[in-house]
Amino acid sequence: MKRADVLLISIVLVAALAFLAPRWFSGNDDKGGPGQNLVANVTVDGELFRTIQLTKEEQTIEIRTDRGYNLLKVHDYGIEMYEADCPDEVCLGFGHITRPKQTIVCLPHRVLVEIASSAGEDEVDAYVQ
Amino acid sequence: MPMSSSESAAALKRTVIIAIFAAVAVVLSIVEAQIPLVGMGLMPGAKLGFANIMVLTCIYFLRGRDAFVLVILKTLLTAFLLGTFSSLLFSLFGSILSFVVMFLLVRLGGKKFSLIGISIAGGLAHNAGQLLAAAMVFDSMSILYYLPVLLITGLVTGIAVGFAVRYLVASLSKISLFEEFLD
Repeated sequence: MKRADVLLISIVLVAALAFLAPRWFSGNDDKGGPGQNLVANVTVDGELFRTIQLTKEEQTIEIRTDRGYNLLKVHDYGIEMYEADCPDEVCLGFGHITRPKQTIVCLPHRVLVEIASSAGEDEVDAYVQ
Repeated sequence: MPMSSSESAAALKRTVIIAIFAAVAVVLSIVEAQIPLVGMGLMPGAKLGFANIMVLTCIYFLRGRDAFVLVILKTLLTAFLLGTFSSLLFSLFGSILSFVVMFLLVRLGGKKFSLIGISIAGGLAHNAGQLLAAAMVFDSMSILYYLPVLLITGLVTGIAVGFAVRYLVASLSKISLFEEFLD
């Protein structure tokens, strides 16, 4: 290994840590859970498909497009990709996500699921009942 | 213009080397696709990038255009065999970016970087390229959430690939087929 190698490794490590550190220190207000009022924005091919409130109760969302089929499941204030008929099944590996800014991606079907807090976001301002 | 016999012999050797390297790269891709990385708590979609061993070795021995042919062959064959055609665009984007970065570092970077540094840069470029392609397709920057994790995994696999390339280059240099490509 040469000096330039070591320099490259350190720069990359510092950059990655600089990105990660705020997430570790952000504390509880960034965590999901009851009272957080999180939503999941589901986009297909760049267009907003649905915005779903993340509840404790179970809901399932089916996405059927020309590209294929995906089944999302909301439970315990989070969301997960439950079923998909894409060839790589990478999207199933993301597991159950509960925190803002976390995403699930299904590249072959162009499906993107992204968690946001419903307060103060541009998508949904408030629910009036 | 007809080629002299020594020129055509060299061209034949290059073709043979590219074919062998492409075959090995595809096998490495298939092997690494069987490793359940997600089960080890890594980001879904992350790859070990073993095929990069062959690409970097090819850049080391042969010309840039030969390595480019290898990259295209390997990406297409892997997509055919693993049936991941729908994400071919992303693989191509990542592989080509990785190839360009490694090629420039080998040819223009002088002797500043060792093979390990070059392999790290290639691995990072591959990850960044795929993520950027995904961000463009989705028209959303939220995928970049995974960038730091990918930086760290790219670093680790880049170091492993770099060591493999170093041993491979040392061993192949002893074979007569590769002798005339040493400079």
